Amino acid sequence: MSDLVIPQHILDDIVAHARELAPYECCGLLAGAGNQVNRVYRIKNIVAMEGAENLSSFDPAKAAHLERLSPAERAEIAFVMDMQDFSMAKKDIRNQGLALQVVYHSHPHDPARPSVTDIKIATDYEEIWPKINLPTPAYLLISLMHAEPDIKTYWIKAGQVTMADVLVH
Amino acid sequence: MIKVRIPTPLRPLTKGQGEVEAKAGSVLEMIETLNQAHPGIKDRLCDETGELRRFVNIYVNEEDIRFLNGKETFLKDGDEVSIVPAIAGG
Ligand SMILES: [Zn+2]
Repeated sequence: MSDLVIPQHILDDIVAHARELAPYECCGLLAGAGNQVNRVYRIKNIVAMEGAENLSSFDPAKAAHLERLSPAERAEIAFVMDMQDFSMAKKDIRNQGLALQVVYHSHPHDPARPSVTDIKIATDYEEIWPKINLPTPAYLLISLMHAEPDIKTYWIKAGQVTMADVLVH
Repeated sequence: MIKVRIPTPLRPLTKGQGEVEAKAGSVLEMIETLNQAHPGIKDRLCDETGELRRFVNIYVNEEDIRFLNGKETFLKDGDEVSIVPAIAGG
C-alpha cells in the first residue's frame, strides 16, 4: 500500500499555487483520510514580515542571509507559514474529520528535494507535532526550475530524508 | 504553576531550557512573567500593539488560544502551554 494517494487535480492545484506565487515560494497543507489525500489548504508565506526569521528555526547563517535581503527577495528563498492561516486550516481539518498528511512548499529556482534548512526545521518540528495533536506529516516539494514542474514527497525523521511512496490517482 | 514549552528559536533567551515554569492566571500574565525572567521574550511573541505575532501560536493544553480567549485565556495550576514557532523552510 502506498504511503499516500494524491489525486491529479490536487497536484494540479499545488502547481497552480506555486506558479501564481513564483518567483516567491508558496506553502500549504494537504489533508485527507487514511492514505487518501483530498484537500488542499493554501497558507500565506509571511517570511517578509518583520521578525519572522527570528521566530522560525532558521539556523543563524540562514537567518543572517535572510536579513541581508529585501523582504521580497526573502520570499524567493524561504517560507514562513502564517500561523493564523495554519490554525484556521487545522480547525477545518478537524471539523471535517480529516487528518493532516502533508506540508508542501515550492522551490522556484531549485530542485524538488529538501534543502538543509528544510531538513533542520522539519527535524526541530518533530517534537512539536505531538504537542499540537497532529501526526508528523510528509513533506512535498514542487520545483519550478524547469519548464515541467517536478513534484516529490519525502519523510524527514531524525534528520534523515527518505522518499515517500506516493500514488497519483 | 504553569509549564511552558519553549521552542528552539527562543531557547537562547531561556539559557537553553526547553521548558520553564511560570505563575500566571492568564496567557497575558504568563507572557509578562516570562518576560521578567527572560527579558526580550515578549517582543518575540507580540508586536508593538501587544498582538500575538502571526508567525507564532500559543497552545494551552493542545488548544490554540486563537480559538480560546486569545491572550485573555485563563490559566490554572497544572496547565501546559506550548509556544509554537511557524512551520518554515528554505
Ligand atoms: Zn525548501
